[in-house]
Amino acid sequence: MPKKAAPASKSRVSKGSTKKRARDESSDESTASSSESEKPKKKPRPSASTSKSTAAAKKPPPKQKDDVINDPPKKKWIPPTRSGPAAPGSKEVPAGHPNALAGLAFVFTGELSAFSREEATELAKRFGGRVTGAPSGKTSYVVVGEGAGPKKLADIKRLGLATLDEDGFLNLIATREGKLDAKAQEKVRKEEEKLRRDAEEMAKAERLQAKAAAKKSGGKVVPASSQLWTTKYAPQALKDICGNKGIVEKLQAWLHDWSKNAKSGFKKPGPNATGVYRAVLLSGPPGIGKTSSAHVVAKLEGYTPIELNASDSRSKKLVENSTNIMNSSLDGWMHGADGQKTTVAGIEITDKSVLIMDEVDGMSAGDRGGVGALNALIKKTKIPIICIANDRRVPKLKPLQHTCFGMPFKKPEINVVRSRLMTIAVREKLKITPTVMDQLVQGANGDMRQVLNMMSTWKLSKDAMDFDEGKQLSLANEKHTIMTPYTVLDKLLGPYSFSKTSRETLNDKIEYYFHDHAFMPLFMQENYLKPTPNRLRGMVGPELDMKLLELMDKAATSISDGDLVDALIHGGQQWGLMPLHAVHSTVVPASYMYGQGTGWSGSGSGHAFPSWLGNNSKRGKLQRQLNDVQIRMRLKVSGDRNEIRQSYVPAVFSHIVTPLIGKGVDEVDDVISRMDEYYLSKDDWDTIVEIGVGDFSQDVVMKKIPTAAKTALTKKYNAKEHPIPFHKSTDLGLKATKKIAKGEVPDLEDVFDQEEGDEDADDTPDPVDDDLSKDKLIKGKGAPKARAKTATSSKPKAQGKAKMHSA
Amino acid sequence: MSLWVDKYRPRTLDALHYHKELSERLASLAASGDFPHMLFYGPSGGGKKTRIACTLRELFGPGVEKLKIDQRVFETPSKRKLDVNIVQSNFHIEITPSDVGIYDRVVIQEILKEIAQTQQVDLSAKQRFKVVIINEADSLSRDAQAALRRTMEKYMSNMRIILCANSTSKLIAPIKSRCLLMRVAAPSEVEMEAALRHVAKEEKFDLPDNACEEIIKDSGGNLRKALLVLEALKMQSFTRFISNINIAKPDWESYCGKVAELIIQKQTPDQLYELLSHCIPPTVVLKTIADRVVDMVDESLKGDIMHWAAFYEVRMRIGSKKIFHLEAWVIKVMSLQKHMYYGVDLTGVGFETVANVQQFIMEVLDGGIVQIVGGAICGRNMKGRFVAEL
Repeated sequence: MPKKAAPASKSRVSKGSTKKRARDESSDESTASSSESEKPKKKPRPSASTSKSTAAAKKPPPKQKDDVINDPPKKKWIPPTRSGPAAPGSKEVPAGHPNALAGLAFVFTGELSAFSREEATELAKRFGGRVTGAPSGKTSYVVVGEGAGPKKLADIKRLGLATLDEDGFLNLIATREGKLDAKAQEKVRKEEEKLRRDAEEMAKAERLQAKAAAKKSGGKVVPASSQLWTTKYAPQALKDICGNKGIVEKLQAWLHDWSKNAKSGFKKPGPNATGVYRAVLLSGPPGIGKTSSAHVVAKLEGYTPIELNASDSRSKKLVENSTNIMNSSLDGWMHGADGQKTTVAGIEITDKSVLIMDEVDGMSAGDRGGVGALNALIKKTKIPIICIANDRRVPKLKPLQHTCFGMPFKKPEINVVRSRLMTIAVREKLKITPTVMDQLVQGANGDMRQVLNMMSTWKLSKDAMDFDEGKQLSLANEKHTIMTPYTVLDKLLGPYSFSKTSRETLNDKIEYYFHDHAFMPLFMQENYLKPTPNRLRGMVGPELDMKLLELMDKAATSISDGDLVDALIHGGQQWGLMPLHAVHSTVVPASYMYGQGTGWSGSGSGHAFPSWLGNNSKRGKLQRQLNDVQIRMRLKVSGDRNEIRQSYVPAVFSHIVTPLIGKGVDEVDDVISRMDEYYLSKDDWDTIVEIGVGDFSQDVVMKKIPTAAKTALTKKYNAKEHPIPFHKSTDLGLKATKKIAKGEVPDLEDVFDQEEGDEDADDTPDPVDDDLSKDKLIKGKGAPKARAKTATSSKPKAQGKAKMHSA
Repeated sequence: MSLWVDKYRPRTLDALHYHKELSERLASLAASGDFPHMLFYGPSGGGKKTRIACTLRELFGPGVEKLKIDQRVFETPSKRKLDVNIVQSNFHIEITPSDVGIYDRVVIQEILKEIAQTQQVDLSAKQRFKVVIINEADSLSRDAQAALRRTMEKYMSNMRIILCANSTSKLIAPIKSRCLLMRVAAPSEVEMEAALRHVAKEEKFDLPDNACEEIIKDSGGNLRKALLVLEALKMQSFTRFISNINIAKPDWESYCGKVAELIIQKQTPDQLYELLSHCIPPTVVLKTIADRVVDMVDESLKGDIMHWAAFYEVRMRIGSKKIFHLEAWVIKVMSLQKHMYYGVDLTGVGFETVANVQQFIMEVLDGGIVQIVGGAICGRNMKGRFVAEL
């Protein structure tokens, strides 16, 4: 690649954009999927692309760009992140020196044509560059795209910064030798020096510890090398704990003052207002050192930690017994005389014990009443208790909120985590650069424990890790959790889910459906009309109205298609159609309707629960009641239940309900006699009122009937004898006469075959001896379906024959 | 006091007001002693059940009118109890298997077997066989229908089956071929007027011509409805009919009208659940609303709206969650109406949906890079046309 591009970029922004368009064209077909997969190739063929680009420069722009160009976004400034790159994936990433951008700081503004903002940022980091949000004096380059923010442009001018366009940026990557200037080298050297020092210190501390442990347990210790990294590098001192300094200090202060507070009866709040609490509740995401902090702090304050976690059974009874809260047995007293101490989970309790209840939100099914018992324990404990949970807001932990001081742990900042992890990496002789480490930490969502595990696994096979490997590793270790339908809706209907920058494939989106395949279609149907579709951006007036309805129409049609597929799945048991169902019922509607909406604000606040469920069960209930009404009226009326609902209910209504509205109590006798005429009970009267809609809906009607009339009706009805057409089975307490067996549904095809076989069988005279082998109904054992059929059909047939003979 | 519709229900074949030929045929069949399986079909309120009852009376005498109701309990594999209501006399039994949904096959098999295995004990009975009436035969599952066909031949000596359905289209061909088909058409206007006047005469009041006309128009060939309306009207105006009568619609019909208005005024389709959850069959809802909507929209849209109503009604019958299809139809209507309003012709656009979905899938398979080509072309065409029209 010739060197000219990089320095000249500033003056060639406009020219570059035409060239860029041409290049889109040239690489359109070749890199439809992802350009990143081609990165490892030796030579990126940059020269070829430039020559092509000049040749193709005059070609008309590609078709997809039409809309972008035709849509004049001049009137309103649209934030660039939303619109996405015009021709994503159209440019190749050159294979530059891994440290090509080392020591440079970048700011991105505006919309690049081939990369989304995230991709471009990642690219800069991948080649060792730094990316900041706003331009400052330290910024080396500003990469300017289309529609750059006016403020940033002004800043660039003011600070006199160098700018690059997209191609210039790529050129920089391709051509720059990753050399660091003296100052930067000095800095790197210093950093490395520090890491080495830290690592040495760590090794020293380890040796000391091993020695101490060996002394204590008489020479039998697990060598450090065979320990898990997570145990080996678990924090030993306060300074080892990453982040949450304030909280940890508070925890230490609380524990320090505990015995003092205990003496004063937990009356004085103290400086941190923690003095009135006998227990604390640490909460936060996994892997950020809650348990470690608790242990370290306990150790520092000279307490012996007693840890109970989810692997111990912690039901109400066990908590009560093992801790002897109720003090109902003589156990403690008797042992006390012996000089033996009360124990918890087999560990002696001294004055200096602290109970660490880990994973209290994991007290579930088996630990019935566990939280309640724990709470009771906390209220009268004589030793400090530290409870640990992931989410303190869950309803289950509500009792603890009043008795424990809440200490929410936050994810530690990335640079703190990085330096600690880097130290460990140096100590373990694993070569890893800070950018890669950042990548890992980000991939693991700040979970230090996971990063450590990942690193220790990696160390088994390799001694170094580069950027791409790190990315793959963190991708492979991504946690797969079942999302709730609300979160899935956020993902699918959110404003970026189908934007051009979205890198989720169809399969990824189908995967969302499988998080809860029974509920997702219902949730989608309930909520798909709520967002303001992103596809309507930039439209106004009639065009907007029409397009909106068009999108709604398409989405609704797709949902309707989905239901047909659903009928096949559940009716025909064709479970292989589930991916198709996912596309029709969930993905396609979302693809039309995704956008900004009430629901899209954090986790699942605005999405509604499917009303289909409620309405369906209501329908079922009313249908049953209607059946009752129908069968009671059957002696007089011939109609089926639909006819009853549509014709008779409105007619009967005017005979047995309307009179009560008009004349009230006077009419009650008449009403009852009319009800008796049709064998209707008071329950049926209620049904008839409940089943009305609109102006005849239950609420409206019941309001109109005077209360006196209602009570009179009930009283008088109950006082009299009434004709009844039949006794309900539930009244008689009848047992089920016949249990419907499972799984003997005949296959329809089978029935047809069977039928033909039967015809022949009937023509031939019945043999007197029942030789099974001759019976055509009983096929070979190879056909299980046929056998199932014979079981159901041969019996009545045989009986039928017997009957005919006897007749 | 019974409602008039029940009070003046004809009890014998001779008393029936219309379809005289049918009555004669039924009478001769009953007399011949060679009584076949039968399938009565026709719109509701046309007199199917009445004719069945009359035929039974012809066959067995007045004893058949002594009905008793019995409730049987079945237990599903999921331990749910199903109540099956059985209406029977000494000579016949009547079941509605569709009450139990997907378990109808088992119920039919059990009950028919039981009937078929017991012979008529009453020696003085006119016929040797019993009659089984199966209501709502068109909503029988295919399994149940398949189970029925063999039984119908096997137990001919002990039992005859009378199926009662609204249409024969959902019945499998083997069932239809085993039955004598009896079409009970809706009465004509003249026939309905005769029936109404008969009731008026019995009740001793004068039915004005205009009232009679209105009732017949409103009922749409449903005599049951006509008689109920007649009685309601008589109750309202006690002794005399006012010149311009106002027939009160049933609750659900007026509600459907309201929903139709909302659709035209472009509201979200929330109101539909109310109707469905109150046991109005979804197909009836769709049909009623479509009728109302068609009354309100421009002439050019009527065809399309009805086309889509038919389209989604089929889907409703095939699918399981009716509301989805109803909602899709409502949105379709709103969209059609909106486009009409702004002068853009959408006819035929919807036919491309399948192709669109395929293209969509292609798009996403390509990593979300290539746009929907069909959709884009479509949009541009529309935009082009839109600009041209402006």
